Amino acid sequence: MKGDRRVLGIESTAHTFSASVVSERKGLLSDVKDVYVPRQGSGIHPTEASNHHLAVAAEVIRGAMSAANIAPSDLDAVAYSMGPGLGPCLRVGAVSARTMALSLSKPLIPVNHAIGHIELGCMLTGAKTPLVLLISGGHTMVVSCSSGMWRVLGETLDLTLGQLLDQLGRHAGYASPCGRRIEEAASKSHRYLPLPYTVKGNDVSFSGLLTAAKRMADAGEPFEDVCFSVQETAFATTVEVTERALAFTGNKEIMVVGGVAANKRLVQMLSIMAGRHSAIFNVVPIRYSGDCGAQIAWTGLLEYRSGMSVPVEMGGIRQSWRLDTVTLPWRLSA
Amino acid sequence: MKLVYRGAEADIYSGDWAGERAVYKFRKPLPYRLPELDLAIRVQRTAHEAQILHESKSAGVRSPFLYYVSARESLIVMEEIAGPRLKSVLQSSGSYTERVSAEFGVAVGRLHSAGIMHGDLTTSNVIVNEAGVHLIDFGLAVRSVKVEDHAVDLRLIKETLVGAHSDISSVVMKSFLEGYASVVGEGRAKEVSRKLAEIERRGRYARVE
Repeated sequence: MKGDRRVLGIESTAHTFSASVVSERKGLLSDVKDVYVPRQGSGIHPTEASNHHLAVAAEVIRGAMSAANIAPSDLDAVAYSMGPGLGPCLRVGAVSARTMALSLSKPLIPVNHAIGHIELGCMLTGAKTPLVLLISGGHTMVVSCSSGMWRVLGETLDLTLGQLLDQLGRHAGYASPCGRRIEEAASKSHRYLPLPYTVKGNDVSFSGLLTAAKRMADAGEPFEDVCFSVQETAFATTVEVTERALAFTGNKEIMVVGGVAANKRLVQMLSIMAGRHSAIFNVVPIRYSGDCGAQIAWTGLLEYRSGMSVPVEMGGIRQSWRLDTVTLPWRLSA
Repeated sequence: MKLVYRGAEADIYSGDWAGERAVYKFRKPLPYRLPELDLAIRVQRTAHEAQILHESKSAGVRSPFLYYVSARESLIVMEEIAGPRLKSVLQSSGSYTERVSAEFGVAVGRLHSAGIMHGDLTTSNVIVNEAGVHLIDFGLAVRSVKVEDHAVDLRLIKETLVGAHSDISSVVMKSFLEGYASVVGEGRAKEVSRKLAEIERRGRYARVE
């Protein structure tokens, strides 16, 4: 179609290698992924994960192109997640994106993975400038937009919610990601065991909670009860700091994004809290809550329209890259 | 009684107490929390807040007088302090900003010198009027002389300033630290600031280079 703009997005920050094509006129055209699964009882091994990504990269990208039914020459730009994430994993996405940008002579667009979660969430839910709760294996943050930047109002001081659930699950012998297994186990219990409830201002902390929970499990408490108690405690602190930020900013719109947004109990708690403040509550659709190429392709398109490309030799990776350091031209009016 | 503010964990009503204007701070059950966990938190925070509010006055900090406390009902009745919140003061005032920020620093310095960490120092929990800067909402306060805890207080101030007052955050923080140091001493203020930087570096994906 003439006048349309299409961007390929490549995601590879952690266990997921994914590619997606987005069109300015038609929205998401494809989203294909292949997820590395660690051995039972293990977490992500960065080298193993990157070997997985290397093995599937070409196939996933080809799959995204053919599902979108466009030829490589129809692309206007190639976007990739520059960070934050695991170095060996990020490198596979970066190399794939640089190779495509070079061979097609198209602009190369670096995307911050966390901003990708947020911008895709806004596009899919119709939220404009919501207070955002970003919860995943890599992030647990409450952010709000001002002067063109997503700024952090509260965050975890140690583990993320995703890590808390994964490490508890691995302690019981599951393989990451364990969120769904923990949620299933928790749904079978109503017995609450007291655990440390840590709120520091607008920040949360889960390391003491994890240690206490593992000890409980080792002491013979039923795993279902431990999962139930961990969920109730950790989610309540998370919802409390979100509510604090909501009351502080006076925002009337909330959005939750990231892999842990798939947890029904957490979403229920957030929805009750939003109702107390008559705020509109948006949840990213489960299909797009976890890491996906779509978050990179969509944000890449927004960046492309603002002229935010980099020369190929600058297209490296940034393992540590906070979202509150990136100015977004399309958010400057917010 | 009139509901004047719905906060994250308490509803604030305006009323009177023995003829004085009073604030009724009522920690209502939060329906998203498991009832037993919810009750424990409300009772603990109410009792704690009342105690530390009382202690803050001995430290020379302007804060509301206590009129009535019931941990069981999770209710605190206290003096109503008239005046705008620091949040709106910072959004409007010009030349006034540095003086208010320094006074804010003095108040927090006094609190810390008395071994109290406020725990929730957002610009919404500071009231400014002719008498000066008043601190309110001691619901997350704890007794602590630890550098780490005092730095956590400063971290939240900085987080709030950057998040909600980004254009003037560095000016406010500079004046705040001057006021703070004038009470706790230059050495201690430097120590707390260094710890604050360390906490920020511990943050996820903070630049390590």
